[in-house]
Amino acid sequence: MLIRTENLTKSYDLGAVEVRALRGVTLGIEEGEYVAIMGPSGSGKSTLMHIIGCLDTPSTGRYVLNGAEVSELKGRALARVRNKEIGFVFQNFNLLPRVDLVANVSLPLVYHGGIARGARREQAVKALEAVGLTHRLKHRPNELSGGERQRASIARALVNEPSILLADEPTGNLDQKTGREIMAILDELSKEGKTVIVVTHDSNVAAHARRIVEIEDGVIAREGRA
Amino acid sequence: MNLLESIGAGARDMSTHKGRAVITIIGIVLGTASVVAVLALMRGGEQQTKDFFDEMGGLREIRITNEHSHSITQTAAERASERLTYRDAQAIRRDCPSVLTVDPEITRYFDVSYGDRTFSMKLLGTNRDYPFADNMPVAEGRFITDKDCENFANVVMMGPTYKEDLFGDEDAIGKTITVRGVPFEVVGIMQKKEFYFEGSGGRERNVLEWFNRSHYIPITTMIRRFTVNDRLDGLEISALSVEAVPALMEEANRVLLRRHGVLDFNVEAKSEQIQQRNEQEAFFNIVFWAVAFVSLFVGGVVIANIMLASITERIREIGVRKAIGASGRDLFIQFLVEAVVVTAAGGALGLLLGLGMVTVTDKVLNMPTAVTAGILIIAFSCSVAVGVIFGLFPALRAARLDPVEALRYE
Repeated sequence: MLIRTENLTKSYDLGAVEVRALRGVTLGIEEGEYVAIMGPSGSGKSTLMHIIGCLDTPSTGRYVLNGAEVSELKGRALARVRNKEIGFVFQNFNLLPRVDLVANVSLPLVYHGGIARGARREQAVKALEAVGLTHRLKHRPNELSGGERQRASIARALVNEPSILLADEPTGNLDQKTGREIMAILDELSKEGKTVIVVTHDSNVAAHARRIVEIEDGVIAREGRA
Repeated sequence: MNLLESIGAGARDMSTHKGRAVITIIGIVLGTASVVAVLALMRGGEQQTKDFFDEMGGLREIRITNEHSHSITQTAAERASERLTYRDAQAIRRDCPSVLTVDPEITRYFDVSYGDRTFSMKLLGTNRDYPFADNMPVAEGRFITDKDCENFANVVMMGPTYKEDLFGDEDAIGKTITVRGVPFEVVGIMQKKEFYFEGSGGRERNVLEWFNRSHYIPITTMIRRFTVNDRLDGLEISALSVEAVPALMEEANRVLLRRHGVLDFNVEAKSEQIQQRNEQEAFFNIVFWAVAFVSLFVGGVVIANIMLASITERIREIGVRKAIGASGRDLFIQFLVEAVVVTAAGGALGLLLGLGMVTVTDKVLNMPTAVTAGILIIAFSCSVAVGVIFGLFPALRAARLDPVEALRYE
């Protein structure tokens, strides 16, 4: 099992009130699965995604990722796990505006450390070619269309060959046609054996996955397989 | 990510924000330039003072002067004292173990003639220690010897200006001049002594010209021929070494107090005079330092301010970097490196500007300056230190940002 969570809870102490974003989530995801996590805003799906993505830590409960207990990790150790195991794709792309695509895509390799500049560029170019951006290597993000930007961010997510591709509303800022193109790339990656997790409130997007997990009010409300 | 790569990433990132870097840099450039200028002026002043005193005679010298009573009525002991005399000088030579040279002086102005030329000229009665003590090489002939003093010889050594006045280009050695009707044989001519203080009234005035306008005769001859007693106008002694100066001061004090019975003299080391001069200059240096410090401080505050603003502007970027695997440490180093790269670049430009300022002060304002490698290193280190100190807080803020919050930031 690639991802295993047991009774994850997350509470935010906002002074007078305590907000319980997650109230006991137990979830297992096998390697190579294509999973959609669904739920309306405020359901706790974002919090779950942050914990799975090692951006946040649970208040209680366990999280085992790729055989390693990560719920206790903090700071630098957690940053290393993010770097090695997780590839993020964001709704609003989150590319660095002032540098070209090659520099953007090599960034995870920079933080990985120990990879020479030339090798980093080579890998970044390969990743960009894989998403069909060969002609855009030297362009900056603001010179690209939304679809191209999202493809660049997928290239960045994959360049480190992570265990999991974690996409947060990947089509949220795109028109329908471009959205379908992006989902086709994710489908293709899943077919090649990559573990893909898509977080969305859009059932059309979720329909691409082979398994759907619905979060409501901080717990798993329903699970189903396509 | 190791440190070297972090530095590389920080420097690369800085180069993508050139506009910001330029604004940030100005304060540092001015601050560093001021530090260079301040230090160069300080060094220049100290060096010139030291050169001046070297030319006047070394740091081993002690000057003994008559100290006048501060009270209106004199005590019996004060009245009985003969003040500084030639016999005091002989007693110091005899009784002070740390003494190297003893140079008693009596100065008088007399009519001096050669052929049909007559001038009123200064005569300095002294002994063989005079050129030693005052660092005066002989150009021609010889100086006064101990034998001259023993024999009350009528010999004279001429300052170069006086030689010109009396003889022009004519050879003077072996010729006879008359001082108040008394014949003296010219035995030597001194080398011209020169020192020009930069800045004070231009380069024209030789402040040591008074050495050149003097005749030098044996002090014993001066006393026998021209004075009613052996009271000295000046007494300079020097110690065996710089380290022996305090001991000699004590010995001279003891000998003179025994002979005078009262403290009517003052013993002062020349190094003290140097110190006094340096202390006077220190006041001006404080003003310069304040200017340099304020410039650097303002530069630092501007850096901290701009970096904090840039961090707010880049909160999302920080979130993204964290999401793809940057640790707090990576970001801390990145932002600190950005600050240091800016200040180091500013420091380098500041060195150039500072050198320009120093050249202008030297050439146009005629102030003495001295630039050493040490000064450049200190000034550059100051600029880097400003980067580290004022980059610390913004870098810490970037490092501590919560990635979830940062990614959510609009």
